[in-house]
Amino acid sequence: MNTAEPLLQLQNITKNFGAIEALRGISFSIDRGEVVALLGDNGAGKSTLVKIIAGGLEPTSGRMLFEGREFLAKSPAEAKAAGIETVYQDLSLCTNVDVVANFFMGREIVKHYFGVPILQEREMEAVVARAMANAGTRIPSLRTKVEHLSGGQRQAIELNRFVHWGGKLVLLDEPFAALGVEQTRRGLEMIKQVAAQGIGVVIITHIMQQAFQVADRIVVIRQGVVAGDVRREDTSPDAVVAMITGGTLAGAGPAQVENGAVTMSGG
Amino acid sequence: MTPRNRAMLEFVLDNLVWFMLLAVLIIFSVSVPNYFQVGIFANIVEQSSFVGVMAIGLALVIIAGHMDLSVESVAALSAMVTGILFCGAGIGMGIVLDPPWLMIPVSLLIALAAGAAIGTINGFLIVKVKMNAFIVTLAAFIWVRGLVVALSGGRSAQDLAPAIRVIGIQRIGYIPLVAWIAIACFVIFSLIMAKTPFGRHLLMIGGNQAAAFRAGIKVDKILIIAFVLAGAIAGLSGWLLAIRTSGATANLGVGMLFNAFAAVVIGGVSLKGGVGALPGVYAGVLLLSAINTAINLMGLPPHFTQMIHGGLVLAAVLLDTFKHSIRQKLA
Repeated sequence: MNTAEPLLQLQNITKNFGAIEALRGISFSIDRGEVVALLGDNGAGKSTLVKIIAGGLEPTSGRMLFEGREFLAKSPAEAKAAGIETVYQDLSLCTNVDVVANFFMGREIVKHYFGVPILQEREMEAVVARAMANAGTRIPSLRTKVEHLSGGQRQAIELNRFVHWGGKLVLLDEPFAALGVEQTRRGLEMIKQVAAQGIGVVIITHIMQQAFQVADRIVVIRQGVVAGDVRREDTSPDAVVAMITGGTLAGAGPAQVENGAVTMSGG
Repeated sequence: MTPRNRAMLEFVLDNLVWFMLLAVLIIFSVSVPNYFQVGIFANIVEQSSFVGVMAIGLALVIIAGHMDLSVESVAALSAMVTGILFCGAGIGMGIVLDPPWLMIPVSLLIALAAGAAIGTINGFLIVKVKMNAFIVTLAAFIWVRGLVVALSGGRSAQDLAPAIRVIGIQRIGYIPLVAWIAIACFVIFSLIMAKTPFGRHLLMIGGNQAAAFRAGIKVDKILIIAFVLAGAIAGLSGWLLAIRTSGATANLGVGMLFNAFAAVVIGGVSLKGGVGALPGVYAGVLLLSAINTAINLMGLPPHFTQMIHGGLVLAAVLLDTFKHSIRQKLA
């Protein structure tokens, strides 16, 4: 396999909801082991884009290349099978079942007896216990129903889940919304760990500081198009804010802030 | 609250219906003359078979967060089909197979298939066409009953083939085979719900359908299977009814839906979906039968039974809300 090719390449992805053009032609790429922060104002189209990559929505037009091959997931199941994991901003947990069941949601360990698949609870519990211990997450009992857990504990389950399953590409849609300072720090640490294993990471966030702490590259979306695609070391929080709010023209490249005005040196 | 107290309260809430059943049986045994005897208890178990089997299918779809009001009419349809094919009198065609025992599996399969067919139509309309489950199955409740009347011309089939009737007559330890079949169904489906990915996924869909979908669970497929199963199980219940009554009438089973519904809710299945287990539903059915039997023994006129059932449904929904608020306080 040619490792020089990008892990995921988006080519001119558009999405219309009726007359509304949510995405008007998005193109960018993600390499293996790279962390890309996806930034943009409310309604810029970030979540729509993530849903398209994750198989929850079909694009109106455009191409996606995953590991060099044309790939469009028609369902989350297909995306998962291809190695794309997603953590959504509104939690994707079933609160009416326990921690173990949530961790293994949709890919339970089973043993077949006379062709009938039977859940292997003890085996699954052991795996979850190990994953939680590795991540330093403490939850009183893995058999507790998730509805009895705090917001932070719930988000920790989601984060541990994606670290455990990994895959090839991880999409995180505002994963730290309900986390405290310490848990957020640990979450960012987890992202770096995951990327170090060669997994591509796309993280959507509103918090500039988080983006600069963890991302290798920052992609800004404004009004359905890519308004900026810069390496972290080539830009500054103020320049990114300008790209988000439309202070600069569409295009990539390092920008500097001089006397409060933003000047572009490229694109 | 200490974790131990909380675990105990949880246990009581989860199994409330078994405690209620026990209490009701003790109260009736003490206060109603002739209630405390093996024959009465065996009768309660037998009476529970028909509504019980029907309640299994209903519980499956309610746990998945949906509704199936059609089970009663579907049972009547399967009973009528069985009756028309294998009854010797009335509108029965009196088909005889050789060897006679072959009629048991053949009639059973036909009854299951008739139920599954209606379940498939329901499931398709609800899951694929995205119509409201309540409306779709209410419509099926009406049109399937109409189909039963049309099929029978309003007349009845009598004299079911003796080879099939064995199921209703033969007893193993005081309890007829009919009841053993119901008990076996509860055991099998309880295991499916607790131990297989299908049951686990059904529960998760009832809890958070969007999350289940995002996790890659094939929500549509599982929901359609649930509706098909509910139909097939209702078909089984109709088959048992036909055996029990040795035939079928156009109005067979009228009113069973509400008993099944009451049993499901009393059994601890939440109408909000995602909560409940089948053993509790069986206890709910037994509870209703225990009350019916007491009313019979006391010699009260049958319309009292209806009033009590109506009251029980209300009480059950109230109990559901009440348990929900207790659990919220617990969390």
